[in-house]
Amino acid sequence: MLTTDELERYDRQIMIEGFGEEGQEKLKRAKVFIAGAGGLGSPVSLYLLAAGVGVMRIVDHDRVELSNLNRQVLHWDEDIGKSKIDSALEKLKRLNQGVKIEAIEEMITETNVLQLVADFDLIVDAMDNLPTRYVLNKAALERNIPFFHGAVYGFEGRAMTIIPGQTACLRCLYGGVVPGEEFPVVGVTPAVIGCIQATEVIKYIVGIGELLTNRLLIYDGLNLKFTELKVKKDPNCEHCRHLASKE
Amino acid sequence: MSITIDVSTFFRKYTNGQQVVEVYGNTVGRCLDDLVKQFPGIKQGLFDESGKLQNYIDIYVNGESAYPEVLAKPVKDGDELHIIFLIGGG
Repeated sequence: MLTTDELERYDRQIMIEGFGEEGQEKLKRAKVFIAGAGGLGSPVSLYLLAAGVGVMRIVDHDRVELSNLNRQVLHWDEDIGKSKIDSALEKLKRLNQGVKIEAIEEMITETNVLQLVADFDLIVDAMDNLPTRYVLNKAALERNIPFFHGAVYGFEGRAMTIIPGQTACLRCLYGGVVPGEEFPVVGVTPAVIGCIQATEVIKYIVGIGELLTNRLLIYDGLNLKFTELKVKKDPNCEHCRHLASKE
Repeated sequence: MSITIDVSTFFRKYTNGQQVVEVYGNTVGRCLDDLVKQFPGIKQGLFDESGKLQNYIDIYVNGESAYPEVLAKPVKDGDELHIIFLIGGG
């Protein structure tokens, strides 16, 4: 049940055809796990918080550095040297006090991932490296939790939504690893991709629209062009082949 | 007619910033050979020392993955190839 304040706060999105109070109540009941409080995690957390998800858990183990500030808009000059989790929590709790925010300073690993995502309805991949993305992908598949992927490089970004057992997973999409982990990026790219991930999360929770499943969306900021590529479930995928029977 | 290759941003440093390159060939492998002929520097980004496609690259033909026999995948005039470099930044 929505309160009077909530009805007013979310009035403009409740007005959307197919959204309504029912959609807002679904958002209020949703528990979203966000892996990363950096370039992607900043817009994802801000917009999901603004949209009124019920519980948000955000996990990161880094500290704020000067070189983060061109894109990680949750962190400001005064936050340099602080843990990203403390810095993020301070801003996020001021944006929407109606959302329960759990901020955890921890590195996501194969050992702790299942415990970290336990009891959450959705996982947003806002990481900055592929190995951890694969760890999250496996955990999402194992726990049957929808997984919302996004990644950036320079002016280019990508997004795809994964529904375990039904659609291609991150490992079906990518077979290898990237040489080197330091990547160029301008802040507007994760802003675009993070907002696309947040859009997918909201659509999934509310149950409207068509999800970005089995489709890799490529955003080319330099030419301001969006391209879609079809992604098929790989029957030999080392992460999801055991889920083939659920199709 | 010919085949066009849409080069993802990472590889444009090898193509003088060109996003779309016109190539000729009847398989993905032949098209990539033609691309390398036009832009020799791209070879190191596309292939490993044994001549295999790097494992961080995917090729799509008309929006669909060319996996698993990527280089042998037949193509025809008017087809569009995408070279996708695996990215993980966030």
